Amino acid sequence: MIEFQNVSKVYSNGTQALKNISIKVDDGEFVFIVGQSGAGKSTFLKLITCEERPTDGEIVVGEQRLSELKRAEVPYLRRMMGMVFQDFRLINKMTVFENVAFAMHVVGASSREIRRRVPYILSLVNLQDKAQCHPRELSGGEQQRVGLARALVNNPKLLIADEPTGNVDPALSFEIVDLLNQINKRGTTILMVTHEHSLVKHFQRRVVEINSGAVVSDSCNWEARDD
Amino acid sequence: MIKSFRYLLREGIKNIWSNRTMSLASVGVLVSCLLLTGAAVLFSMNISAAMKTVEGTNSVRVYMQQGLPVLSSVKAGEEIKKLDNIASCKFVPKDRAIENVMGMLGEKDANLLAGMTGKDNPLPDAYQVSFRDLSKYKDTVSKILKITGVGSVNDYSDIAAKLTKLDHMVTTGGFWVILLLSLVSLFIISNTIRATMFSRRLEINIMKSVGATNWFVRVPFIVEGVVIGLISGVLSSLLLQLLYGRLVGTLTSITLFSPIPMGGIAVPLTAAFLAAGSLFGAVGGMISIGKYLKKEGGDIVDW
Ligand SMILES: Nc1ncnc2c1ncn2[C@@H]1O[C@H](COP(=O)(O)OP(=O)(O)O)[C@@H](O)[C@H]1O
Ligand SMILES: [Mg+2]
Repeated sequence: MIEFQNVSKVYSNGTQALKNISIKVDDGEFVFIVGQSGAGKSTFLKLITCEERPTDGEIVVGEQRLSELKRAEVPYLRRMMGMVFQDFRLINKMTVFENVAFAMHVVGASSREIRRRVPYILSLVNLQDKAQCHPRELSGGEQQRVGLARALVNNPKLLIADEPTGNVDPALSFEIVDLLNQINKRGTTILMVTHEHSLVKHFQRRVVEINSGAVVSDSCNWEARDD
Repeated sequence: MIKSFRYLLREGIKNIWSNRTMSLASVGVLVSCLLLTGAAVLFSMNISAAMKTVEGTNSVRVYMQQGLPVLSSVKAGEEIKKLDNIASCKFVPKDRAIENVMGMLGEKDANLLAGMTGKDNPLPDAYQVSFRDLSKYKDTVSKILKITGVGSVNDYSDIAAKLTKLDHMVTTGGFWVILLLSLVSLFIISNTIRATMFSRRLEINIMKSVGATNWFVRVPFIVEGVVIGLISGVLSSLLLQLLYGRLVGTLTSITLFSPIPMGGIAVPLTAAFLAAGSLFGAVGGMISIGKYLKKEGGDIVDW
């Protein structure tokens, strides 16, 4: 699904965010990405979504070599991935339903498809009763489930989540990752950046640790070192 | 794409409403710009029309010298008739001339001239002279001027030259004013749309993150501009027709000159206004969104 071949990223201000990273993620994997703040985790994800381009090396997503991807083709690459953000990025003046439907409008879905698909996705994240609520009326955990529903509504092959539980109560974080786990079982590849070691330990999945722009460990029975 | 288009259209119109103060300002400047352009064009058209009537009359009025005895006037008239290229030469005695003026002024103002009849009439006698061949106009006029007793000829070519000069002044002056106003309109429209974009940057960010094409992101903002342009076009057209209608009414009642009626130009004028308005709006929209589309994802949220 994803392959990094000797990828480096230097930002225009000179910050070296990633140094010669090579890593492979297979279809259907669930990968936690951990590491200290400023280690380069978000940069790693942004290179996959083409928000940033690598300074060096090659990235392959699906069958696509990103170096060969033109700017105008980036939207189509993004349609095969869903993104979940730490700050939810919900539109407050829209209802839960509209927030999810928005993602479908954008890729040109018809109103009929939208009316059929959105309730289904909302039931998947247990929000069928909140469809007409506005984001502000929901808890952090519920808001992030709306974000998750939006990321899933276009049926992506890959889900990218940058600290999705960062603004959610720890008790509810568990619920979110459990949902991601279920989604992964249906075949969606998942990359999730997190700080919460308890989550990582509980779910026992592949863990990639990044430190100062380099992968320092990559294993399926990861032990946090400094906590 | 058609199904998206309805959605995008609605989004664009929503933008205008949610940003109505700025939208109103845009409509305001665009209307003033279109109105001025329209006024300049109408002015120019009227001058050309006036010039055609002036050039079309092949007759001039030849005034005798002030206080010339009637006998000498008659003599001068005979001289004029003897010139070649004269089709007709009709005597206009000064008494009739003053009556004409009083008639034109209407009863109330005519009383002002009551003391100017008879012996106190300040107007000279005159001849209404028409030519056979207009191409010899200048030549004939100069010959008439040499005849003793002739004071002046009201020379239409002179008026024509003045009108041309005025038209030229209005055209060049208008051009610069309109150019300046166009730039101001573009500036204000693009800033209006930029303000909408700023208030919707989260939406734009989400759109891009779920794979919206740049066109999809752009269309509502262009729609916003075009709708602002169309509203301005309609308003300007209505306003100009109203103002011009009034002006025509007044002008026809106080002068002999009859301006071009609005009827014939209302449709092309409205069409031109709508086209210009929507073009401005579209360009304004394109300008404002261009550079923000280059940004990707999260950096849009952090503007
Ligand atoms: N747009 C940017 N321009 C310049 N430097 C950046 C930018 N984004 C991130 N960085 C720097 O790159 C490094 C890695 O950042 P990031 O990938 O966000 O780390 P993490 O997500 O692990 O906290 C940090 O030193 C950060 O300051
Ligand atoms: Mg980060």
